[in-house]
Amino acid sequence: MLEQGWVGGRRARFDTAGRVRGLVSHVGDQPVGAAAHVAVHRSTQPHALIGAVHTEDALAMPGVYAVLTGADLYKQFGDRLLTGPAFADQPALAHEKVRYVGEPVAAVLAADLATARAATDAVWVDYDELPPVYDLADALEGSAFVHDELKPSSVFGDLRHLRGVRDTNVNYTYTLRHGDAQAAREAGAHTVTGEFWAPPTHHVPIELPCTIAWVDAGRLEMLTTTQTPSYVRQTIADLLDLPLSRVRVTTRPLGGSFGAKMYDRLEPLAAALAWTTGRKVRLVASREEAFLLTTRHGAAVTSSLTADAEGNLVSSIADVRYDTGAYADVGPRITAKSGMVTPGPYRIDTAHVRSRCVYTNKPSAGPFRGFGVPQVTWSHESLIDELAHRLGEDPYAFRRRHLLREGDEAPMGTRMHSADFVTCLDSVANAIGWFEPLERGSGRIRRGRGVAVGVKAVLTPTIANAVLQFNQDASATLLISTVDMGQGSDTIMAQIAADVLAMNSERIHVVRADTDATPYDTITAGSRSTYHTGNAVRRVAQAMRDKLIALGAQHFEVAEADVELTPEGLRSGERTVPVAELVHGHFGARGATLTAEANFTTSWAPYDKETGRSEKVTEHWFAGAIGVQLTVDTATGRVHLEHLAVAGDVGRAINPALVEQQLTGAAIMGIGHALFDQLVLDQGQLVNGTLLDYQLPSIRDLPDKLTPIVVESPHDDGPFGAKGVGETGILGIAPAIANAVRDAVGVRLTTLPLTPESIVTALENKQEEES
Amino acid sequence: MPTLHRPDTLDEAVELLSTVDNPMVYGGGTAIQILIKQGILFADNFVDLAGIPGLREITPGAGVLTVGPMVSVRRMETDQRVRAHAPLAAEAYHQVANPRVRNTASAGGNIAHGDYRLDPPTALLVLDATVLASSVRGTREIPVREFFVDFQETAIEHDELVSGIRIPAQPPGAGRFVKNSSLGENDWPCASASVLVTGSTMHIGLGAVAPTPRYVACDATGLDDQGAVDAALAAIEPELDPIPDVRGGVAYKRRLARATVEDAVRAAWKDLQHA
Repeated sequence: MLEQGWVGGRRARFDTAGRVRGLVSHVGDQPVGAAAHVAVHRSTQPHALIGAVHTEDALAMPGVYAVLTGADLYKQFGDRLLTGPAFADQPALAHEKVRYVGEPVAAVLAADLATARAATDAVWVDYDELPPVYDLADALEGSAFVHDELKPSSVFGDLRHLRGVRDTNVNYTYTLRHGDAQAAREAGAHTVTGEFWAPPTHHVPIELPCTIAWVDAGRLEMLTTTQTPSYVRQTIADLLDLPLSRVRVTTRPLGGSFGAKMYDRLEPLAAALAWTTGRKVRLVASREEAFLLTTRHGAAVTSSLTADAEGNLVSSIADVRYDTGAYADVGPRITAKSGMVTPGPYRIDTAHVRSRCVYTNKPSAGPFRGFGVPQVTWSHESLIDELAHRLGEDPYAFRRRHLLREGDEAPMGTRMHSADFVTCLDSVANAIGWFEPLERGSGRIRRGRGVAVGVKAVLTPTIANAVLQFNQDASATLLISTVDMGQGSDTIMAQIAADVLAMNSERIHVVRADTDATPYDTITAGSRSTYHTGNAVRRVAQAMRDKLIALGAQHFEVAEADVELTPEGLRSGERTVPVAELVHGHFGARGATLTAEANFTTSWAPYDKETGRSEKVTEHWFAGAIGVQLTVDTATGRVHLEHLAVAGDVGRAINPALVEQQLTGAAIMGIGHALFDQLVLDQGQLVNGTLLDYQLPSIRDLPDKLTPIVVESPHDDGPFGAKGVGETGILGIAPAIANAVRDAVGVRLTTLPLTPESIVTALENKQEEES
Repeated sequence: MPTLHRPDTLDEAVELLSTVDNPMVYGGGTAIQILIKQGILFADNFVDLAGIPGLREITPGAGVLTVGPMVSVRRMETDQRVRAHAPLAAEAYHQVANPRVRNTASAGGNIAHGDYRLDPPTALLVLDATVLASSVRGTREIPVREFFVDFQETAIEHDELVSGIRIPAQPPGAGRFVKNSSLGENDWPCASASVLVTGSTMHIGLGAVAPTPRYVACDATGLDDQGAVDAALAAIEPELDPIPDVRGGVAYKRRLARATVEDAVRAAWKDLQHA
């Protein structure tokens, strides 16, 4: 049915069959012809000065074309070799010193990948070891420094004051001050405190990162697995000192990403090598190498929440430390955007947050579904749960009483709109039977329930553009730079345009990001595409509708106000002309196209320098809630999820089926983070960086029942009221599960993941305390 | 690059093992392929057994089932003769990895891998199976209880291959296999146990809780289920020697081993009562 393809319809995504059957071709599937295959020699030291790099043996191997070191590239590019979205601190190949075990030190170009990889073993490096900074404690103690001085990139003006700062591992601090939180805590009646830890994790998309780069007629062209083609184009142009017009970045559909394929991954190295050698180069990360490319930030939160004698929330205090590893990447942005929501979506009289981004000698941490917010949600949703228990109140009802409502100002100063926490919380509580009696179990197996809510801002300000070609045969070609990595963006963008143009969305083709053809779009990340690019698409479709109506008015010789666009064509009174006939008549040619373009840009109010507050810190909010019922086996410590409900306020679901899939997928990813998923490092060395050891949820780890719930509180400015949903479902999973464990067996765990070992240890400690 | 050899006969295969440099027998490849990709397995010559006729046979004999080395783990799980002859073994094979791996992995390769966490050895230990090891010097029989000699090390010599496994018929009584992981459900087991109660003896095979699969037996005469659990826990205690790693520390792995054995013993005792 036609309407299935419009806004609110559950049309199937256009690429389901192709993705499932392997018929969609990805970057790594593209034939490259004669090319140099690149493998990387990696650092064995967490922190060391690079002495000599011995490449002679590798160069002597048959099939090896060239071996380049960081020093070689630095000679060519100077400080332009250092790139990054917030700080220009990361060299494509380590230059002068290495900062983590696994950092690229030399690149081997060879006739085939096996030869290149074998030759990396023949590269030898002399190191002069430096004192390593293994963790946050080492870093903040401040006797060894990962970087000699801070190097903010030119992208963000608000980081300029950090340029050249020395003798620190803290590259950025965000502070929120709302009232006198310390005094309010001291005056309060009940305070709960916690030391929370969420470990680094890896994204593990199915498709491995791959970049192919070559020089064509003096232009650098690139085909790469990236969520951020516009950013990569700018970075490569800066690195090679070229005008944007001489850099082309293209993508194929990504096989998942979750933040792993953003900003500076393989692309700067590929561009530098192609430009330096003149060869077409192909880089692909092995599964083991992918673990080193980027991670989720491990984060420590020391926090408290205070209520007065009536149970009103009077003070929230938190010290947040994000471990960003060897390079800042987007860590400073995460530190601010997540720091500001550390108190949670509650009415709280006062708040004080210090959120710091900290260098260590570990693989660099960057964006990951949730952008640092799950780590602080872990803190605020554990604290408020514990406070409810302390006050003898129901954790659901206690939250509900304090949740921010429409129009309320959050502690960081921005008002709530289209963020229906109450309905989200009510729906998950109802879904898991919160109000029904619970059979708790009396023997080895104990049962409990938990809830949690989550709040996140959207990346603001950002820019989206769309170009629409309306084809004479009444089909359309939509040019946007949003990257479809499985989330279904191409499908919903077609639905948005189709709704405006009263046409079948399956007749709209969405062009893959190609910076030569598709217009600038900030990034495909942070759940921003539905709202931002969706608005640009709605606007471009409206512009096209206006053009068609103008043609219709000419055709019918009536005023434009008397012409209507319908699924049957342009109509004026009783007369109808099919769109194909109208456009054919206008151009006198088959296959002609009409073109329209549109832009959508958002703005924000920067944080106040003193208080960290802003009256508009975000264009809109994501609001979600989780409810879970589970059992704990007290002999083994194993958690079994019986029912997990995940609700998200999406404003309006453009395609409810895809929204449910996003909520479900985020929940499953969150279950891994809650129960077993973590990168384990020992003295800077990754010890579980293979899929034999790294833990991801399998089908057997899913809850017996998983219920996604779409909440719709339309946003005034969203396309048809819509907002994004990619991250909403992951925010509160870990605390909801921990709160249910607390309910089941009476122990409060503050370190993720909640392994069976940590649960039985907590149970033993509790027994000891009680005896 | 290593050389791949595809012999047509067992004689050719063992000849290769005695002549080529640094050989490794290639069965289903499910372990070898992963180790190669990780760059931690080095062999100059792979001797693939896939083309040798007869190695996929399951042969019934007098009270003994002889399993060819290339019989898939999946067939060990599903074959009616294995299920009738040694249901405990079939159950352990049934719980290996996932169906894709079970369809490819071989029974011979499974034990030759020698990993301390494997499921089938726990059942083969309590059933007192025999491993056939062939080389140019002939074929010798190794009791499976003497097969797993050290961490990732078996009694197979460098020029030998596993040419069969002889499984005695499971005696009357009750047998149960239980395993527990400590992280993802589908992860390597953190503790596994096969328990076989027959007559007055309780046989216990342990996986993942020491550097090698372990076997112990204890007298179960006149015990009720709690008595059997206590006897089993006392019997396994000296055998527990877990390796601490990302899947758990020593104390937790010991605890999980005890919980796993207790579950297997209780289940077996329940079976006996309902028999």
